[in-house]
Amino acid sequence: MALINVAAREIHCKIVYYGPGLCGKTTNLKYIHSAVPGHARGDLLSIATETERTLFFDFLPLDLGQVHGFQTRFHLYTVPGQVLYERTRVAVLNGADGVVFVADSQQTKLREDIISLQELARNIQAEGKKFLEFPLVLQYNKRDVPNALPIEQLDHYLNSSIKVPRFEAVASKGVGVFDTLKAISKLVISKL
Amino acid sequence: MDPQLTSLVVSQAETSHIEDTLERLVAETGANYSMLLDKSGQVIAASGDTDRQDITALGALLAGTFASSREVARLLKEKDFRVLFQQGVRENIFTELISEQWMLVVMFDKRTHIGLVKVLSKRATDELASILERVKLESRAKDQIISTNFRTSVEDTIDLLFKD
Repeated sequence: MALINVAAREIHCKIVYYGPGLCGKTTNLKYIHSAVPGHARGDLLSIATETERTLFFDFLPLDLGQVHGFQTRFHLYTVPGQVLYERTRVAVLNGADGVVFVADSQQTKLREDIISLQELARNIQAEGKKFLEFPLVLQYNKRDVPNALPIEQLDHYLNSSIKVPRFEAVASKGVGVFDTLKAISKLVISKL
Repeated sequence: MDPQLTSLVVSQAETSHIEDTLERLVAETGANYSMLLDKSGQVIAASGDTDRQDITALGALLAGTFASSREVARLLKEKDFRVLFQQGVRENIFTELISEQWMLVVMFDKRTHIGLVKVLSKRATDELASILERVKLESRAKDQIISTNFRTSVEDTIDLLFKD
């Protein structure tokens, strides 16, 4: 739930990057952190294991500056993708205003994508929210790998029933990262 | 909490009520710092050392810790853990849940006694609960703040900032 502080003239929104293990959620945040102008970003905070897998979450605050007299901020989070951490994902998802679901385009990962998206739907509904009305965008990541599934197939398996905006990406090179971020942040603002 | 409520709008008057409560808590316990968080990790108000630069990250982490403990409670079939206490060499953190939705955080050092923090935090959370209840009701009338113009300007800013 977004927070609008009238006295401090601030608006805060929370966006969570969700998806199966190693799909590129942290990579998205790292790219955003490297490419957004310094005045608009805070430190990227990562709670990761020694092998750099996300253990709890990554956190990146972004500051749009003053808009109509309101300081507008987005807080970006990632969840840990590994199956083991389902309850941790629930904890991070708490109070989110919007979600980017990062799908791994590799053929071998389709099953994990589907399971993770179903889990997301369950977890959002468990918060009492309507999944189909919840601000959500899909990102088909790793479009550059040789065994990437065709877009039509990903659409069929992941997006045919929810029909949300979706973007192709190669997060490691920054391709599609900002298109995704722009779409989710606008969606979140439209629902404020 | 109405899950369909998308924004919590805290008015100027209620912010100052919240700040008064936090300030009194800090003054009476001798704590260093106190803040009110919502469960998503946003800092609603804070009081104490004004030179703290790290409160955004602290808010995110403390809310994360609490959310995690809520899941632990669920697994243990415990209703919830209302209170968390983190003890350090220099500083301690006392966190208490308010109406399932918010958290009161008190940071204090060895000059302050934990018992006092517990007792006075309980009083503060009762006060904050009733303030936040009013805030929730008022949040339905947010249209005067979030106008169409505002949304358009935010969208323009997003386009300007979020690019390679």
